[in-house]
Amino acid sequence: MDAKIKFNTKNLDLFYGDFQALKAINMEIREKEVTAFIGPSGCGKSTFLRCLNRMNDLIDSVKINGEIIFDGQDINGNIDVINLRTRVGMVFQKPNPFPMSIYENIAYGPKCQGQKDKTQLDTLVKESLMKAALWDEVKDRLNKSALGLSGGQQQRLCIARTIAMNPEVILMDEPTSALDPIATAKIEDLMSSLKKDFTIIIVTHSMQQAGRISDKTAFFLMGEVIEFNETPIIFTNPNDKRTEDYITGRFG
Amino acid sequence: MSRKASDFLVKGIIYLATGITLSVLLFIVGFIFVKGIGLVNWDFLTRDFNEKVVYAFMESNDVPLGIDEETLSKKNPYDKRYETHLEGPIYIKNIGAAIAKVAYKNHSTEREQFVITYIEKDSPFHSVKDSTGKDIKIRTDYIVQSINGNDFSGMTLAEVAEAIAAESGELKVKIVQPGGGIKSNIITTLYMVLLSLLVALPLGVFGAIYLTEYAKPGRLVNMIRFAAECLAGIPSIIFGLFGMAFFVVALNFQISLISGSLTVAIILLPVIIRSTEEALKTVPMAFREGSLALGATKLQTIFKVVLPCAVPGIATAVLLSIGRVVGESAALLLTAGTVAQIPGTLFSPGSTLTVQAYYVAKEEGNIELACAIGIVIIVIVIVLNILSRITSDKLDVFNKR
Repeated sequence: MDAKIKFNTKNLDLFYGDFQALKAINMEIREKEVTAFIGPSGCGKSTFLRCLNRMNDLIDSVKINGEIIFDGQDINGNIDVINLRTRVGMVFQKPNPFPMSIYENIAYGPKCQGQKDKTQLDTLVKESLMKAALWDEVKDRLNKSALGLSGGQQQRLCIARTIAMNPEVILMDEPTSALDPIATAKIEDLMSSLKKDFTIIIVTHSMQQAGRISDKTAFFLMGEVIEFNETPIIFTNPNDKRTEDYITGRFG
Repeated sequence: MSRKASDFLVKGIIYLATGITLSVLLFIVGFIFVKGIGLVNWDFLTRDFNEKVVYAFMESNDVPLGIDEETLSKKNPYDKRYETHLEGPIYIKNIGAAIAKVAYKNHSTEREQFVITYIEKDSPFHSVKDSTGKDIKIRTDYIVQSINGNDFSGMTLAEVAEAIAAESGELKVKIVQPGGGIKSNIITTLYMVLLSLLVALPLGVFGAIYLTEYAKPGRLVNMIRFAAECLAGIPSIIFGLFGMAFFVVALNFQISLISGSLTVAIILLPVIIRSTEEALKTVPMAFREGSLALGATKLQTIFKVVLPCAVPGIATAVLLSIGRVVGESAALLLTAGTVAQIPGTLFSPGSTLTVQAYYVAKEEGNIELACAIGIVIIVIVIVLNILSRITSDKLDVFNKR
């Protein structure tokens, strides 16, 4: 209980028009831990994840009630969204490298923040790629298009791109669902090593994945958090019957 | 009727329709080429449309002929479309040039004239001034009509040579720069394309950005889109009338390049907005999300990620626009005029190729010349198409792997 609380949501409701997608979510997410969200499709876990860096702003019909406290500040209030997103990075389900060179992909975020110094950018690109365990594979083709990389490499590039912003939190929305098992394994290894420096929140459909990499797991169902606890407890001794049913594959 | 028979019938109609379309297209292009190709040559592309009379002032200076007679007689820079050789050439020492007599015949005029066929290296023709004292350049296909007031019409070549040789000291030669070419129209057309794109492209692209990236879907957006579509359907003569009333008269731009290109820019706007909008819509949402999630602002996202992805679509818009400008005649007739000259400033008139084709066909009844201009238009459109396709392939970010 000594780790700092990074995100604290209080009675968070979210509506898509008339449809309530999230119901009174209360959750504390700790610094430098891996938190996994599991649950059947459409249960609101991705929606909740996207609340944490205000990506839902892009959807017009979304209405949010309740508070999301990030480092003591309500991010639904009057805050600088751009600044929030530099502190809370995001990796998406489908690898989405921009159609530019590998180098430009990594340098994109810092450049948007006004970083112009070429040597600083060079070191930043190299460090980010190294942290994302991609440097050795791409160091000779930094100026080639990122679209030429394989799916797994593209996803690690997206992670490297996020790391380059040096965020405090990395949100990952099913980052391995479009990848083969080998690429998945590489990304899982990567997550374990990133845990030292970043708070990671990951949405996943694979319970094995949640079991392997996360410290804490939240089980979502129909827009509610049914259970949120240490991962081993969720997987071996859940409190709620529905969690147990889901984990043992009896529904979902 | 059995199914087999009706299938056969429908298939026949489909083939027939395709065949008719293709043959009509081929027939038209073939017709234009057959009618006009006889008039298309280098002179046609590089000469002005109108003949230009200048008085050349120079100092006579005896220059011996530097080449042998045989080589001289082979030099014949006649306009092969209209000129046939009659006599000569004869080299005349005191002007350091050779002239020949030719018969000139086009669809409306017939006459005999004296053409300069060769100018010697040190000839006084190289240092010629016009009546205002400006340097002018005399070329080998120019026509001489008189010297020091002594008119050549009706003379034989020998008499003309004698008349010229008799003069000395200060010479005043009436020279006609031959016409019949469309250089000025080609250049006006290119100016028109450039200027109208310069105005319409930024406006259209920014408008499309507003519609796809900023505007909340609703009544206003639908209205803008509807307006753009209506604009695209309005015949260009209406825009021409507007351009005439607004740019030419109200803003007092006169009938000029700028009036014409602004009018055409309005015609282009809907095309550019529509194509750019379509292109922007095909850019995956994931790119926008990825960029925003990296802390980029919306504008940075649009200009650094979304627009580069839309470049092939925008190139299509440019391509369609070029076709539109090159093909536009009604609106330009009213706003840019029919004067076949290279517009010296934005506010001088000039006729594009299509307007010129209209003009020679309608006012001069010269269908061959109009068809020859048509060939040039077709070639220009094809070349511009190929160019913009190449550039759009080069700029396509998805092509570079």
